[in-house]
Amino acid sequence: MAILEVRDISVSFGGIKPVRGVSFSVEPGSFTSIIGPNGAGKTSLFNLISGVNKIDTGEILFRGEEVHGLHAHQIAERGLVRTFQGAKIIKRLTVAENLMMAVQGNPGDSLWRFFTPRSRSKFEKYARYLAMERLDRVGLTKYADEFAGILSGGQRKLLDLSRALMTNPSMILLDEPFAGVNPTLVEKLLEVLASMRKQYEITFLLIEHDLETVMNISERVIVMAEGKIIADGLPNSIYENEQVIDAYLGSRKRGA
Amino acid sequence: MEAFIQPGFWIFVLAMAGIYGVFSLGLQIQYGVAGVMNFGHVGMMAITGYAIAILVIRFQWSFWWAAFVGVALAALGGALLGLSTLRLSGDYFAIASIAFAEITRYWILNSDGITGGTQGTLAIPNPRGFGGYTDQPDVILYWIMDRLTPYLGDNASRDLAILLVVWPFFFLFLWISARLQKTSWARVLRATREDDDVPRSLGKNVFRFRLQALVIGSVFGGIAGAFWAVQFMLLAPEDFLRIVTFYGWMILILAGATRVKGLAIAAIFFGFLYGATRFVEFWPISLLSAPERSYLRIFLIGVVLIALMVKRPQGLFGKRQEMVLE
Repeated sequence: MAILEVRDISVSFGGIKPVRGVSFSVEPGSFTSIIGPNGAGKTSLFNLISGVNKIDTGEILFRGEEVHGLHAHQIAERGLVRTFQGAKIIKRLTVAENLMMAVQGNPGDSLWRFFTPRSRSKFEKYARYLAMERLDRVGLTKYADEFAGILSGGQRKLLDLSRALMTNPSMILLDEPFAGVNPTLVEKLLEVLASMRKQYEITFLLIEHDLETVMNISERVIVMAEGKIIADGLPNSIYENEQVIDAYLGSRKRGA
Repeated sequence: MEAFIQPGFWIFVLAMAGIYGVFSLGLQIQYGVAGVMNFGHVGMMAITGYAIAILVIRFQWSFWWAAFVGVALAALGGALLGLSTLRLSGDYFAIASIAFAEITRYWILNSDGITGGTQGTLAIPNPRGFGGYTDQPDVILYWIMDRLTPYLGDNASRDLAILLVVWPFFFLFLWISARLQKTSWARVLRATREDDDVPRSLGKNVFRFRLQALVIGSVFGGIAGAFWAVQFMLLAPEDFLRIVTFYGWMILILAGATRVKGLAIAAIFFGFLYGATRFVEFWPISLLSAPERSYLRIFLIGVVLIALMVKRPQGLFGKRQEMVLE
């Protein structure tokens, strides 16, 4: 059974229709990339799936449950988390706090648990342990107690990815994780993603505007243009698709 | 100059500082932790103060029950304000909160039959014909004064008794609040101060967290209102002008919005500024008449706030990095 099923969803904001009747489903444990030129509706699609915006028509099912009516935080609680374009970290929390915040089921998040300090501090230690372990994996341990705002762009991306993972999700939506990142760091991020896949059974859905970056890591590529899916298949087959060449890859392919 | 050497002056300053300290502690939780800009905090003070006066005078309630219900009403006021307007983003919420406080004040001003209107709590219909609402707390205050009179003589004033009651409470609240701000609940709020989308995408119900912070802050605003009501023994609508909220803000900014421990010292500094411009008679302040001096106070507070914003955005005790990180 598909982990995520999107059925004929559309949305319009005023006169603009960023997503027009999109349908696809994602298999558990798979790695799918959505590519498309600027304004193709990729981020709008993510906003609909993650509950940031509400769909006008259609259905979204996550693990068989309708989620299109839920709030963003409820969808995240169900194990479908996302990252945002440009690594949104909380600059005025420490690096470790950024991660600790993401651990699910923290009793200390409830105000009433103020009166049970033991259970709070126990969980807090556990969250800290998880956070430090994760920071160690991405080489940010020495920044654990610094404000996250001092991190460089690349380190922020690593923190952002690690934080999404801290929620222990079954599926992660990554919104252009490679945008504005130098080639060396792209390699590193791809490595981190690959090792995440190996270690946890997480389904990935990723947005990227450059097909080549995600060629190797993706098992499947969906191409969007003007709010619709114009191609869907194995990465290699996308290169040969006439419609894709016209709409998107055209100029570069011909030039090459 | 003689006011400076009068113990009475300092006692008054410190008593007021304690009350304003509790008041600004509410703002600290709302703004310093949750990033909610509440410019209508004085409304909570008014609600509790007037609830006490009305329940005790008109309905002959016990002061203690009235105070409890008054604070609960302030919390309810915070909840209603939040439920109706907290979905507005930062600046718009700030404007809506001013409106809330003004609506509260105008309602008090115009409901003569219930609140005494412009004449204040003295005009609240009283089945006994006459009397205030502080009889019960006064028993405690006079007990304290009686104990201190042998040592302090005339200086064992009601202000001193209030000071001795308010400050332990203030420290207790500071302690509770400092503990509260170490919880993961506060950590989520500190995240929402910067960005809503991230905590939401991590499964946090941002609205619930903010609403809770607003209600807790309102409880402190209400408690300050109860102290205020006892201190002044009568209330009038003009006690709860917008400026009072900004006094609280000034203490908060002085202390550094994110640092709960600076509040006590900032409150004393403010109390001094507030008291000094009211009672101190020395050149050049003595050139001004009393009403002119009250404008001077507002003017001075403005200058201090601007100077702080420019030179020390983190306040006297905050971490600069936390305010300026981009």
